Amino acid sequence: MTDPAATSEAFKVCKGIGVSPGIAIGPAYLYARVSFEVEERSIDPEQIEGEKERFEHAVKRAERDLHKIIAITREKLGEDSATIFEAQLLMLRDEAMYPEVVSFIEKKGINAGYAVQTVMSKHRQVMEASDSEYLRERSNDLLDIQDRIIRHLRRGRILSAVDEESIVIAENLTAADIILFSRRGILGCAMDFGGPTSHVSIMARALGVPAVVSTHGATKEVSTGDLVILDGIRGELIVNPDEATLESYRVKQKRYERLLQEDKQLVNQPAETLDGHPVLLQANLELREEIPLMEENGAKGVGLFRTEMLLLMEGRAIVTEEEQAIEYTKVVEAVAPHTTTFRILDLGGDKLLPMGHREHNPFLGWRGIRIMLDKPELMTPQLRAILRASAKGPTRLLLPMITSIGEVRRFKEMLAETMDALDKEGVAFDRDIPVGVMVEVPSVALQAELFAKEVDFFSIGTNDLTQYVLAVDRGNDLVAEIYNELHPAVLELIRMTSEAAHKEGIPVSLCGELATNLRAVPVLLGLGVDSLSASPVYLPAMKRVIRAMKRSEGEALAARALASSDPEEFRRFMDRWLEEHACGVSFFLEGPEA
Amino acid sequence: MIEKEVTVTNRAGLHTRPASMIVRTASQFQAEFFIQKDGYEINGKSIIGVMTLAAEQGATLNLIFDGSDEQEALKAMEAIFEDGFGEVK
Repeated sequence: MTDPAATSEAFKVCKGIGVSPGIAIGPAYLYARVSFEVEERSIDPEQIEGEKERFEHAVKRAERDLHKIIAITREKLGEDSATIFEAQLLMLRDEAMYPEVVSFIEKKGINAGYAVQTVMSKHRQVMEASDSEYLRERSNDLLDIQDRIIRHLRRGRILSAVDEESIVIAENLTAADIILFSRRGILGCAMDFGGPTSHVSIMARALGVPAVVSTHGATKEVSTGDLVILDGIRGELIVNPDEATLESYRVKQKRYERLLQEDKQLVNQPAETLDGHPVLLQANLELREEIPLMEENGAKGVGLFRTEMLLLMEGRAIVTEEEQAIEYTKVVEAVAPHTTTFRILDLGGDKLLPMGHREHNPFLGWRGIRIMLDKPELMTPQLRAILRASAKGPTRLLLPMITSIGEVRRFKEMLAETMDALDKEGVAFDRDIPVGVMVEVPSVALQAELFAKEVDFFSIGTNDLTQYVLAVDRGNDLVAEIYNELHPAVLELIRMTSEAAHKEGIPVSLCGELATNLRAVPVLLGLGVDSLSASPVYLPAMKRVIRAMKRSEGEALAARALASSDPEEFRRFMDRWLEEHACGVSFFLEGPEA
Repeated sequence: MIEKEVTVTNRAGLHTRPASMIVRTASQFQAEFFIQKDGYEINGKSIIGVMTLAAEQGATLNLIFDGSDEQEALKAMEAIFEDGFGEVK
C-alpha cells in the first residue's frame, strides 16, 4: 500500500480542526472541484449518434448519483434538505435541458460537453439578470447540474479516480460530495477551508467519515498517492509518516474502532457516576438538521443552540422575526420533551459582524450582548421569535458575552417589554422562560454570587473564558501553547461559578470544547458542574468516562488539578487515570482543538 | 383552456424549491400548463423554465391550463401559490 516514491517525501503535519472523529490511514487523493470549462469540438456526422449516447449515459449516471444523495440526505438530515437535490433531478430530463442539448449536438455537430455548457449558461444568464439577489444566487443550482453532467462526460479522468480506500484532500467540499464519496467507501477527508458548523462537517459526522477542516493549505502539501494519516480527533493530517508514527496510529485506530462499538451500547444507558450522581448530557447544535444526530447519541436536550448560523446561511444581515420563529419552533418541537437552550445572537469576536464593521481588537470589542443591547432592531425580533417558540415546548434563553449585572437587568427590561407586547397581541409564550448567562468573561465568574441571585442558570463557555483569563489568542501559533483550558486559574473560576450556583440552587452547565476533552470530564464533575453540552458525536465517549468514575474521585482529581503547576505532568497523570478507570480511552482524549 | 392570474407571495420568490413544487404539482395532471410573465411564456412543467422566470415576491403571473383536467390542475396550483410554497411570506 505504501508507494516507495511517496515515502521518500518529507514528513509533514498539517494542523486543522477535527470535525468528525476517527482515524484513517491510506493514500491521498487530491480532489479538484473546478467549474469545468469545456472546449468546443466538432463531431463527425457519423459520430453524432455516439455523442448523444455519451450524453444519455452521463445523465443516467448523474441521476444515479442524485438518487443516492437524496436517499442519504433524507435519512440523515431530513426531507427539507433533500428538496434541493430533488429539484436537480428534475432538471436533468427537463425540456429546457435534455432535448435542447440533443438538438444542439445534432444541428451544430459539436461535443456534448460544450452543448451542455452553452444551453445551461443561456438559462443562467436569464436568472442572473434578476433584480433579486437571492434569485441571482440560485443560478448556482443550474451550475451544479451542469458540472455534474460534464464531470460524468469526463468520468474516466475524474470521479472514478477517487479510489475506494483513499483519503480525499480538497480545498472545499460540499455536503453532496461527502455523500458520494462515502458511498464510494473513502476513508476520510481533509479540506483547506470550512468550520465545524458548516453543512459539510455536519454531514461528515452524520455519515461517520473522519474529517479535518481548516487545514490552511493541505492541498499544497499533498500529492495524490502520498501516504497520509487523517486524525479527525486531534484535527491533523500527517503526510508521509515515518514507520513509528504509522505503527502508533495503527494501534490507535484499532482501539478507536473498538471503543466506538462499545460506545454504541451506551447510548440508552443513563449518564450517571458509579456512586449514583446523574450528569445531564446535552447537545450543542447549530442547525435543525443535526437533531437526528442528537437522538442517535443519546443527548437529553440542547444545552446550546447557536443562532448565528441562521444569519450566516441566509447571507443576510437581518433575518425576520417570522423566519426565526418558524425555525425555532421546529427545533423546540423536535427536541421536546427535552429543553432547548437558545443563545441570543453572538456576533463579533471571530464571528461575522453585520454591516461591515471592523475592529482592531474584536475579542475585546463590540460583540454578543453588547451589540444586541445597542441594536433593538436585532434583539426584539429574535426575542419575539424565541418566545413564540417557547409556547411549543421547554425553552431557555442564554445571554452571550455578559460582563456586568447591569446588562442582565437591561436585558430583562427588554424581555418584559417584549412579553407585554406579545400579551397585547394575544400571542402565546412561556412567561417563566428561564434566563441564563454565559460565563465567559472572568468578571462574571468572580461575581458569580451576585449573578446567581438574578439568573436561572449558568453556562460556562471555556473557549472564551480561557483566552480572557490567560490573555492568549489561541489562533496565534506563537502563543497557542499558553492556551490551556485546564490551567488552575480557569478551573478556579469554574469552581467559584459552581459553588455560587449551588448556593442559590441554580444549575450550571459547561458548553465549551473542554467538555469533549476526556481528561477534563472527571475534573469538571468534581468542580461541581451539573451538565455538559457538546457536539453530539462526542457524548458517548464522555458518558463512558462518567459511568466509570465516582463523583468523590472527581473531587479529588479537581483538587489535584487546582494545585497543579505542571500541565504536562497533570496530562500524563490523567491519561493513566483514564486508562485504569475507563477501559482504555486514554488516546481518545483530545477534543476538537485540544 | 382556462387562465388565472396569481401573485408570488413567498418572500424568496420562485427559486429552486418552489419551482420544483410547481413542476411536480403540474405533472400530476394531463393538462398542458404555461406560465406568462411580462409577455414571456414558459412551459410550467419545466423546472428550468420556471426558474428562469426569476419571479420575485409580488410578481404577477398568468397561469394557463389546457386539457381535460384543467380545472383540477388550476385548483391545485392556486393552493400552493396561496400557501406561499410553505415558505415565509
